[in-house]
Amino acid sequence: MADRFNKILVANRGEIAVRVIRACREMGIASVAVFSEVDRAARHVRLADEAWPIGPARAADSYLRIDRVIDAARASRAEAIHPGYGFLAENARFAHACEEAGLVFIGPRSPTITLMGEKTSARRLAVAAGLPVVPGTLEPLADDAAIRREAERIGFPLMLKAAAGGGGKGMRRVASAGDLVSAATRARSEARSAFGDDRVYLERALVRPRHVEIQVMADHHGNVVHLFERECSIQRRHQKVVEESPSPLLTPDLRARMGALAVALVRKAGYVNAGTLEFLMDESREPYFLEMNTRLQVEHPVTELVTGVDLVKLQIRIAQGERLPFAQEDLVQRGHAIECRVYAEDPDAGFLPSPGRILALRVPGGPGIRDDSGVEEGDEVPSHYDPLVSKLVAWGEDRASAIARMRRAVREYKVLGIKTTLPLFERVLRDPDFLAGRIDTSFLERRGRGTQAGEERPWAVAVAAAAIRAFVQRRAARTAPGAVPAPSAWRREGRREAIGGRG
Amino acid sequence: MILDAAVDGQAHRVEVTGGKGRYTVAIDGRPLEVDWREAGGPFVSLLVGGRSHHVALEPRPGGYRVLVESHDFAVDLLETTLDAAVARRGPTGPARLVAPMPGRIVRVSAEPGQEVEAGQGLVVMEAMKMENELRAPRAGRVAEVHVREWQTVETGALLVVVE
Repeated sequence: MADRFNKILVANRGEIAVRVIRACREMGIASVAVFSEVDRAARHVRLADEAWPIGPARAADSYLRIDRVIDAARASRAEAIHPGYGFLAENARFAHACEEAGLVFIGPRSPTITLMGEKTSARRLAVAAGLPVVPGTLEPLADDAAIRREAERIGFPLMLKAAAGGGGKGMRRVASAGDLVSAATRARSEARSAFGDDRVYLERALVRPRHVEIQVMADHHGNVVHLFERECSIQRRHQKVVEESPSPLLTPDLRARMGALAVALVRKAGYVNAGTLEFLMDESREPYFLEMNTRLQVEHPVTELVTGVDLVKLQIRIAQGERLPFAQEDLVQRGHAIECRVYAEDPDAGFLPSPGRILALRVPGGPGIRDDSGVEEGDEVPSHYDPLVSKLVAWGEDRASAIARMRRAVREYKVLGIKTTLPLFERVLRDPDFLAGRIDTSFLERRGRGTQAGEERPWAVAVAAAAIRAFVQRRAARTAPGAVPAPSAWRREGRREAIGGRG
Repeated sequence: MILDAAVDGQAHRVEVTGGKGRYTVAIDGRPLEVDWREAGGPFVSLLVGGRSHHVALEPRPGGYRVLVESHDFAVDLLETTLDAAVARRGPTGPARLVAPMPGRIVRVSAEPGQEVEAGQGLVVMEAMKMENELRAPRAGRVAEVHVREWQTVETGALLVVVE
């Protein structure tokens, strides 16, 4: 068994860096943050024991620079690197560079990342392990002619995905042959800039698919468990927005079957540490293996809340060479957990990014509420990185109480300075289909946009508040003519008054 | 003070009277008695007929962004006639497509002189690792194109003008 780590470098930023740094502090392990120029005073830097600069704002010049991250680990004498998710988390070259440098990469071995990271080889391995996969191509496609030929064979609608993909980047749903070329161009361009690899593969698009994933954990001693499922069907742009566990869709039999399939693939791949197997389910509830994410998942807190397992600490313990402290039969799902991803995006303007400074922030608390946030009041949400600001997670004895608790927390949550996805959750958490568990990946496209019929908006309170604020500010400007109020229509008014007198 | 307010696509006539934390706000002639307490920074506690509201106000061009419970409102205010408020919002003249966020221009598919449909994609911008297609605000002819591919732009930068 390896020795305990004394110091871990966290090769990430934002809420996930904060999450890992918190786990390190609880375990008595020193943490080392890395930061780009725009993140000098970011929350992960403030919370870490040490912080090292790794370059300019652009991720390609900082958080994606393997050499600089390794240099920072060496300079700080860290023994291990936790990659979080995104950035270098599923980069086999990075894991390999850690291994070469004598650093422990907290995750699977680099050959496993290569095997599962190439989505088509993962599909081939899954078939060999006896998992059902979505019909499509088992080899990556590198040119338009091959894409056209395979698309004709599979038929429309189909999904076009980056072979090196993940996180919804380089992914397009193609309804008909006419859309294929432009979708392929866009997907390949996105894949090239996100992964440096523009090869794609095709899958048949399932009708109203649901996205259910299985959390797995494996140690270096051949022990493998699954930690049940997460339901992730509420998505926009193929990225998850709301996740929960248990899935309202799964029966105990189906859950056990999917868990067994996941464990079979993990064993076949010789996988170690935390991972997630994503499945799509069609209307007949038949699960199809989609891909494996060889890292900690954004939505890992819902699993933590229902299983009572701290996945980040467990990742660190496994990387230290420890055995899994429990067997499959020791694990149970208790109660229900829901996560809402608070993105710096405007849900009423097609989820356009809304970076900027957080002028004011009120975070909910109280029973059963957890807020994993990368920011505090006064912080800047830079435009250079993923727009995830925070993950709000609620636990309840059952699904209905978890939903009620989440609605209460969303109501308490206030963010000014940037737009966030918070108003969207109010709509989702009231939606009759969501409440009944009738959800699929097109849920938001069908009903997430704009105000819903029958939705009661307290617009009169909003108008009264704005009018009183304007009234109060105008009075303040009148008593002190030099003081011009806020940048609004009132500035003009104030000036006119200051110049033109009291009319 | 009499104001023209617009919220959720509806125009309202608003009159505010009172002072020292107690106001009467008449919206389209229906009065609301409002007890108003500043609650730190942009936050205000309102009691309206005994109902408690935790409200946040953020200045924005033309008015305020107002958060009430989980709802997000854009309230436009103008202390002039209703006619002026309508004229200010009116869709006459050239339509300007501006950058909704800072980012990088990935593709420009609009050319000066080109006829475009409302909603037709004109520019693709990359921000926060995603490509976002920006569409024509209305049908017409492309009069000006102000950006080129790979250029970095700030929020509000003029991209394309459609006549």
